[in-house]
Formats: sequence, C-alpha cells, structure tokens
Amino acid sequence: MEEDNKPDIKPVIDEAQKEPDDKKTSLCVALKILKKYNLNSTAETLKKEANLTDSAYNTSEHDVNNALNIFKSQGDPSVYENAYITLSKFVETSLDIYKHELGCVLYPVFVHMYLDLVCNRYEAEALKFMKKFGPGQESYYQADIQNLAIITKKEELEDNALISNYKSNEFVVRMSRDTLSLLKRHLKEKKQTVLLDIVQENLFFDVYEGIARNKQQIDAVAGGMIGEGTRQDNKSRVYYGLLKEPDLQTAAATVNLDEDEEETQESEKPKKKKSKSNPLLSKKTKIDPNAPPLDRMPLPQLREIDKKIKVQAVLDSAKRVALNHETLPSICCYTLLNCSNAVNCATISDDATMLAVGMANSRVRVWSLVPQKLRAMKTADQLLDIDLESDDVMHRILDDRSAETTRTLLGHYGPVYQVSFSPDKTLLLSCSEDCTIRLWSLLLWSCVVAYKGSYHPVFDVKFSLHGYYFATSSRDRTARLWATDNYQSLRLFSGHFSDVDCCQFHPNSNYIATGSSDRTVRLWDCVTGEQVRLMTGHKGEILTLCFSNEGRVLASAGNDCNVLLWDIAHGHLVAMLTGHKGPIYTITFSRDSTILATGSHDCKIMLWDYSKLLEDLSLDDMNVHNPTVMNNSPKYLLRAFGTKNSPVIHLFFSRRNIMFCVCSFNSPQSN
Amino acid sequence: MGEIEVNYGSTLPTESLKVIAESVGIGNLSDDAAKEISDSATYRLKLVLQESKKFMMHSNRCKLLPSDIDNALKVFGIEPIYGFHAKDHIPFRYASGGGRELHFIDDKDIDLIEFVNAPLAKLPLEISIRCHWLAIDGVQPTVPENPPSVSKDVQKLECVDPLNKLKKPIDKEVSGRPSTGKAQKLRNVETVHVKQLATHELSVEQQLYYKEITEACVGSDESRRAEALQSLASDPGLHEMLPRMCTFIAEGVKVNVVQNNLALLIYLMRMVKALLDNPALYLEKYLHEIIPSVVTCVVSKQLCMRPEIDNHWALRDFASRLMAQICKMFNTPTNNVQTRITRVFTNATNSDKTALPSVYGALEGLAELGTETIKVFVIPRVRMISDRLDSPEVTQNNVDRISGNQIKHLLCKILTPVLKITHSPPDSLDEYKKEFGSVGVQLHAAVCKARTTTIIQSTSNQTVTQTNTQSRTVIGRPVAATTSNTVNPQKYVLMSQRPVVAQTPPNKTVYITQQNIKSEFQDPSN
Repeated sequence: MEEDNKPDIKPVIDEAQKEPDDKKTSLCVALKILKKYNLNSTAETLKKEANLTDSAYNTSEHDVNNALNIFKSQGDPSVYENAYITLSKFVETSLDIYKHELGCVLYPVFVHMYLDLVCNRYEAEALKFMKKFGPGQESYYQADIQNLAIITKKEELEDNALISNYKSNEFVVRMSRDTLSLLKRHLKEKKQTVLLDIVQENLFFDVYEGIARNKQQIDAVAGGMIGEGTRQDNKSRVYYGLLKEPDLQTAAATVNLDEDEEETQESEKPKKKKSKSNPLLSKKTKIDPNAPPLDRMPLPQLREIDKKIKVQAVLDSAKRVALNHETLPSICCYTLLNCSNAVNCATISDDATMLAVGMANSRVRVWSLVPQKLRAMKTADQLLDIDLESDDVMHRILDDRSAETTRTLLGHYGPVYQVSFSPDKTLLLSCSEDCTIRLWSLLLWSCVVAYKGSYHPVFDVKFSLHGYYFATSSRDRTARLWATDNYQSLRLFSGHFSDVDCCQFHPNSNYIATGSSDRTVRLWDCVTGEQVRLMTGHKGEILTLCFSNEGRVLASAGNDCNVLLWDIAHGHLVAMLTGHKGPIYTITFSRDSTILATGSHDCKIMLWDYSKLLEDLSLDDMNVHNPTVMNNSPKYLLRAFGTKNSPVIHLFFSRRNIMFCVCSFNSPQSN
Repeated sequence: MGEIEVNYGSTLPTESLKVIAESVGIGNLSDDAAKEISDSATYRLKLVLQESKKFMMHSNRCKLLPSDIDNALKVFGIEPIYGFHAKDHIPFRYASGGGRELHFIDDKDIDLIEFVNAPLAKLPLEISIRCHWLAIDGVQPTVPENPPSVSKDVQKLECVDPLNKLKKPIDKEVSGRPSTGKAQKLRNVETVHVKQLATHELSVEQQLYYKEITEACVGSDESRRAEALQSLASDPGLHEMLPRMCTFIAEGVKVNVVQNNLALLIYLMRMVKALLDNPALYLEKYLHEIIPSVVTCVVSKQLCMRPEIDNHWALRDFASRLMAQICKMFNTPTNNVQTRITRVFTNATNSDKTALPSVYGALEGLAELGTETIKVFVIPRVRMISDRLDSPEVTQNNVDRISGNQIKHLLCKILTPVLKITHSPPDSLDEYKKEFGSVGVQLHAAVCKARTTTIIQSTSNQTVTQTNTQSRTVIGRPVAATTSNTVNPQKYVLMSQRPVVAQTPPNKTVYITQQNIKSEFQDPSN
C-alpha cells in the first residue's frame, strides 16, 4: 500500500532508510561521548574490543543524535506523563495574562510526546497517554488528534503524511517576550529533558514585543495544523489594488451603434443611453496606489469581443440595484431535481446566461438560463461560406438547428469537482477525481485540452478574471497556475501541509489564494511563485474563498461553519461570522460590495451586512500586532433564507445585483 | 468529549478476524497473530476511511458512500471494490452462533424466475432544473418551493409551550417580512422589554386571498371551489390566516345548522378537511373552534330542510371521519381529545330521548374511532337501540322509520367485521336475536354472508383474501386520509370533486411535475 504509492511530495525522514544494527550505533554513541570528554585511551580500548573500524565509527551525526534521544528517554515512559502533567499544572497556575499564551504549548508538546512514546514502542503507554490527555486538547485539534490516534506502532510512523508534517516542521507558537521568558524559566527549573528536547526541536516561537494575547485573540487565529503563521510569512508587500480598466470608449461606440440598429423604432432611447453610459465608461478611475504595475503580470490583449463584453458589463452595472441593509437582494433559485447526492459543483457564467454543473457520475452539464438556446458551431464546409467581415459573424457561425437548452459534456472518468467559465464564456474548465483538468469549447461542445498535473485528484479550478490563466488545487498539496495554451503548468505553489481544497484568483490576477485541509489560507504571487501570505484561524477544512470587489478583503469558509474575513494588506484575520450549522460551500460579495452572502449544507443562505462591517473595521488604522477580530455575528446578519431541503451549492450576484442560487433538492426519502 | 474518548484506539475484535480467517480456510489462527493482523488492518482501514471522508467532503455530502471509499482506495494505489453497492440503510444484525455474537448482512436468496419475470424497474428521472424566487427584495414569498414560513414543528412547539416564543430574541432566521422594518426599530428604541404581541394584521394580499378563498369555498362554482380547497390543502403560507379561517368555519357552521343548509355545511367540512391535510399547518391551537363545528355536523338533530329526502347521512359520515382524523392527529395525554369525543358520542347513544339522526351520527362517530371503541361502546348498546327502533313511535313516523333503517344498515356495516372476529362460528340466529334484538336477524345474515365470501375467496385466490382483510381493518381503524378506500360509494359524493391530495405529499408532486413557470421568471438579470 505504501510502497507503490504514487509519488508524494511529502518530506521523507531518512533515519529509517539505513538503519544500522542497534548494537553498532550504541557503541558509536558511546565512542562519541568518550571522544567528547577527551577520554581517548578508553575509546581506543573500546574500539579494539568491539572490532569497530573507523568507517563504521563515522556514522552520521544524525543517527547518533537519534540514538542519543532514544537513550535519553528510553528509561521510563512515565517520564512523559509526569512532564506533561507538570507542564499543564504550570500553565494552569501561571498568571492569567500569560496563561492562555502558555496554553498554546500544550498541544504540540502533547503531539510530540505521543509520537515519542510510539516511536519508542511504548504502545500501551501511548494509548493511555492519548486517552488521558487527548480529550483535554482544544476542540479544533480533535480531528487531528483522531488521525494521530490511528497510529499505534512505530512502523506506521513512516508513511503517514500527518506525522511527517509534525516531524519535519516546527510547530509555530506566537508568544510575547514575557511569556516566553516565563516558559523558559520554568523549563530550566524543572530540568525535564523530555520536555526541553521537544520544545527545542519541534517548537518555533514567533516572539513579539507587547502584552500577551487573551483567550479570544488566541482562539481566533489558532487551529492551523502546524500552528500559526509567523509574522515573517506576512511581511512581504502585496499589491491588492485593482488594475486600471482599459479604455472602452471606442468599443462602447460600436456597442451603442449596434443598439442603434436594433432599436430603430425607439429613436430617442439609444441617444439617452449613449449620453448616460459615456460618463460611466470614461470615468477615469484614480490609479490605485496599491495596484500592481500593469506589466507585472503579462495579461492577454483585449480582443474586440472582450471589449464588447466589458462594455456590456459596464452598461449592465449601470442598471444595478443599490443594495443595503434595508434593500435586500432578490434571490432567484435554481433547484436541481432528481439528483440527490449526484451534484458536486455548479457555477453560473458572469452574464448569468449559463449554468454548468459537475456531477458525481463524471459528466458536466450545461444549461441555458435564458430563452436563447445553446448552439454549436457549423461544420467546416458551412463555415467557409460565411463572410468574415460581417458584423454578426459570431452569430452566423452558430448552427440554429443544433440549439438545445441543455448539453452534456462527456470525457472525465471520475467525479467532477469544479467547473469554471471563461470570462468570454466560450470556454469551460472542469477538474475531476481522474486527475485531469479539461478545457471544453462551448462553441464546439467538446473537449479541447486535457491538462494533467500530477497523479492526484484535482479539487478546484478557477479561471482568471482576465481569461487565459487558470488556477487549480489538488490533493498533491499543491496549487498550480496554468495558461490555456500551455500543456504544462506555469507555476507550482507548494507549501500546504495537506490537500489544497480550493483556490481563487485575485481580481487583479496577480495572486492566487488557496485554502487547504491543513486549515490555513495562503496567498501566492503568480509572478514570483512565492507564498506571500499565510493565515490561520480556520478550525476545519476550507472549502470556498472569495475576494471582495476592491481586492483587499478575502473571505473564506468551510467545514467549521465559520466565515472568516482576512485583510490581505497585512494578512490579519479581521472578522469572524458564525451562524451556519453545516459546511459552507459558497461565498459571494454583492457587486457593490455591500452584502456578503454565504450558502451552506444546512439549506440556508445568509446575508451579512458587509458595508457596516467594513465601516466598523476601519481597515486603515488597525493595530498591526494584535488586530481585534469582529465576531459579533448577530449584529451583521441581515437575513437568513431557508431552501426546501436543498443544500446550497453555488451563490452568484449578477451584474445587476440579482442573486442567483443553485441548490440540489434532496428528496426526504433518499436522504 | 466522551464519545471522542471511546474512539481512541478502537480496533477490530480478534474474534471477527478469527471468523474471517476461518472463512478463508485458516483454522488455527493464534491469538497473537490475530492481534497483530487486527492492529494492522485497523490502521489501514482507518487510513482509508480518513481519505474517503475527504472525497465525501468534496462531493458536498455529509454521508459517506461506497464510491468515496473506492476513490480513496484508488488514491492509495489499491484496486477499488468494483460493483459494490450499498443500500441506503444497512442495519446491524446480530446472530449468536456458537456462543459468539456475529455481525452479518442479511443476504437473501433471490428467486431468479421471479426476478426475471418481474416488471422492469423504473428508470431514474432525468435531472432537471426548476427556477423560482427564493426571495423578492429580501422577502421570501410563500410559494410551495420555499419552506413554510413557520415550520410545523415550531407551530407545534408554540402551542405546547407558548412561553418559548417570548424567550427567543428577534429571529432573523424566519422568513417573511424583513425584520428591519418599523416594528423592529421601535422595539430597539424601547428599553423596557415589552411582551411581544402576536401581530394580527394581514397584508392586503392576504386579505384578498382570504376573501377569494372563502367565497370560492362556499360559492356555487364547483371548479373554483376545487381550486380553493387545493390551495388550502397545499399552500405553505396560510399560517397567519389560520385563526380567521377557523373562525369562518365555526361561525359558518353555527349559522347554517340553524338554517338547515346542508350544502354549505358540506362545503365547510371540506374546508376543514383541506386545512387538516395541509402539511405546513398545525391546527391544535384552533381545535376549540373546529371540534364543536365538526361534532355538530355529526350529531346535530337536523342538518337539512327535508330529512326524509336529503342525504345528510353522507355529511355525518364525512364529519365522523374528520373527527377521527383530528383525534388521531392531535390526541395527547394532556388534551384527551379522543376520550372526550368518545364520551360525547356515547352520551348521545345512551339516551332514549336522542333524535334518531343524532344516534346515527354518534354511532358512526364511534365506529370511525376504531374496532376497540366499537367493541366497548357500540356492541353493548345495540340491543337497546334495536328495541327503540322497533317501538311503535318510531315505526309509525315516516321520517323516523327512514332513520331507523339507516341506523340498522349502519349497524350491519360497522358490526359485521367486528362480530366476525369476536363471535366464533357457528352463528346461531337465536343468540344474535337475544343479544342484539331485532337487528340481530340482519346482523346474523350479514356475518354469515361475510364468512362464506371469505372462505370462497380464500379458496379461489390467496391474494384476494389479503386485500380483503386489509379493507376490513381499514373500516375498523380510525381512518385518516384513506377516505376513498371505504366501501360506501355514496361517500364519494363529498370527495369526488378533486383527487385526494393528502395521499401524495404536495411538495413531491410539485417538484416532479415540470410546470413551466419560466415566463414569470424571464431572466431576472436583464
């Protein structure tokens, strides 16, 4: 099972590979010690007696250290229990201001003590230790503890992903300098070598100046698999601003021309529109100081058709309903029937004309949501006859006889986990358990490319808002950046400690955010491929991410039923919204950034007052070290709408701020 | 925390492993070996489960399916167990064999011939999408596609524990009007917590709806009435109008009993039936209005202008069934509805002075409450009633004689199935006469006939007997929604106008039929 496992990029501990027989190692260790204290003659005697050659003696430092460690603790397994009890007593009895920060040490110490016990083959004691102290750990670590408890034998340590995470990474604990010195003093006084070793080898203290944090502050950001993100992780600058919109005047003129032709009867109307839309389009947006330089990330050239789409979008947004806490959106709900347990994902195209659904039975289905049906392109022969210069060439190439309201795309051979429309809605991406990402043409209605990254299921795929690029996240613990015309991925973002469950493009396409089963949210720079933000605070797997329209705030949610809002500028958790009772599958911001909507497995859609939240946050004058986390959820909850026994899969705000909801109906019998 | 503790270090029992080993031909697996294998197998099993949980999560489910385990196995490079399907529910069964408890899955032998000859299974339905407004400007419309504004459970809780409602803070989670309205602002301003009063205002739409529905229900247009009743029986948003509807019915019955307006009484009873059938409504709070109305329609002395011609019996039958339905739905140890109703009916049968139509109603009412009620409350009184029917005052009066015949007919109908069980054959005519008076003759004939038909049918065809016994029990049971199953074709008069809605849950019908409501929704984005 583990030998023929597919290549995994987990860091391997190589101590087990070339295990010299115990006797030899022990002797070598003894020699080392003798050497250390300059007892050369004794060493020589020993060498002779044991028949040791110099080469054997030169075993690696690593092996020796390992053996030393074993020797140290081999004496008595009860040492661990006592040490843990003293430590927890120390935490309990310390001053209230330090108590909670000191408490952060308990979990990593617990984990490593358990692993040491298992490693030293004290299996019964390990189980006892687990049973005694496991339930006392924080609730958000319980899932990991259960996975940890699966391991009961030394042999099992080697191929386990979770263990290698713990072994090869230092658990990050943030502490104020005062707290750390307190802890150090305690460790020195008690002189418990087990404890000292664990703290020295497996813990990393991210020290800051200032007062120790309180329970709420710690709980808000705790929960990561390998502890919190360090401040160093979030130091680099992130250009979270939006790119300058390209000039659309010329394109607008053509669009308006089209409209003129169409609406010849109402001669006055188009004129009005023209005058109305012009200021909108020509409105010179100020250059955002936080925006990345335009040429930082090479973006595709705008084609005529793209410009037209953009103009249409701007015109549409002019008719947008302004939402606030008193004018709530209308929600149009699409319920998928007769498919309980068969729908994995759904997405709606940006102009709200198409709905794509990924199924468990490896199909992708596309529905047209407007009277205009889905048409395919004409055959090559027929295409030859078309005048390429004509204005409506895009319409002419389509075959009216092939019009259908729904189409099925066949090609995957595993459950489809995500689908994503390209901005010009001629392409669709889908990713699947079969380890491939497929690009479908919505003109030909067939697969154009199958991208293959690794031999692991791909969980999420997202098109960039500018098209051309797309991001994927996979079980292989990486996220990747691709371009549609390249068979190989352009960037590989690795760093997560567990499956990467979701990804999302920043509106300026320079960054990709990923959420993972290691309960961290990370932000990656598409240009350099580096990790620029590491944010902890989720207590469960992260299933969905969404950037706010202005690009500064990232919302994430998942299995822990909480919605967390992050300030990308500094990588801080700024708000936590609770209220859902089931895993949250989808988050979206209204187009005017006033409302945040979340949809969950508990058949509820919740609307949150984002504008008020933003007002209360005042992002620009925030305490940089210990930002306060807004968690007064009832204050910001505007409304909750229930669906009829239908978990919400996808939420989407149209350009005019109508909310669309896709949910799949679970008939009560089959549930 | 407690349950977590239990889960640490759980392993497969070595006994199971030994049994499995036996099944593959290893007879003497030592304890140590079993322990080793169990540890290793447990570890691997847990790993697979841990991985399959991830696939479950990505499929937006909270239920693990066999396909998830297959996917997990695939990831580990193990061949998945193809062709394995689990039913929705696999119960754990235990069989104690040889002193040990074993878990096994019941794998029944399938008769191939039967299997081949069986009709083809239904094809799964095509996936389709249905579009509706979940909210319009922040208000959730009460259409069947949306959940009811106040769920039945909440309604139920409110009547059991009215204080509960006051305890709750202003609940943003219920649909309906946005809570940011005027009312809430006022509430926020006031510092003293004033007891929240139930709002009694109906919106203009609701007033219109009420007017239309009540007019349609008692009007002359039969098709409109059918529509109105359908709406009452299936609409999820009637909660707020319920008090008014109930008052309407109660008042209507009061007036029309006095005026002997049979038709209107029937219409009102059909309204009660529709409200009872509505899955989104919980009527307990309004029983004090509904029960008297229904009981009136069962036992009233006179329900129509011409008792000798009009078929008021059908109304009594229908109302009795409603009564039985109410008893079945709302009887609790606290309100004792069934006991109290039984007492009312029994008192009516006890007295010599009771008008005969009332006796008929009371008997029918008791009969609908079940076989036990018939045994205890009807059978002992049959002789008394029979004697009364034979008395000269009854036989000489034309109206009373008709009533008498109806009662006799009814007694035959309700008693035959019971007597067939309680009295063992052979049936002696004299005994029947002695026990039941003159009705005994008819009863004897009916029971004998019933016995012979059963024997004939049972010899001719097994299945028919089964259905026969089923229908018998149906008569005896307090029949709720199965009104259409009963024998008397006359009863269909009341119900034949529309299909019995209650038997198919409305949400199901709604969801499967692909009604085209698109026109209403035409791309709201534009």
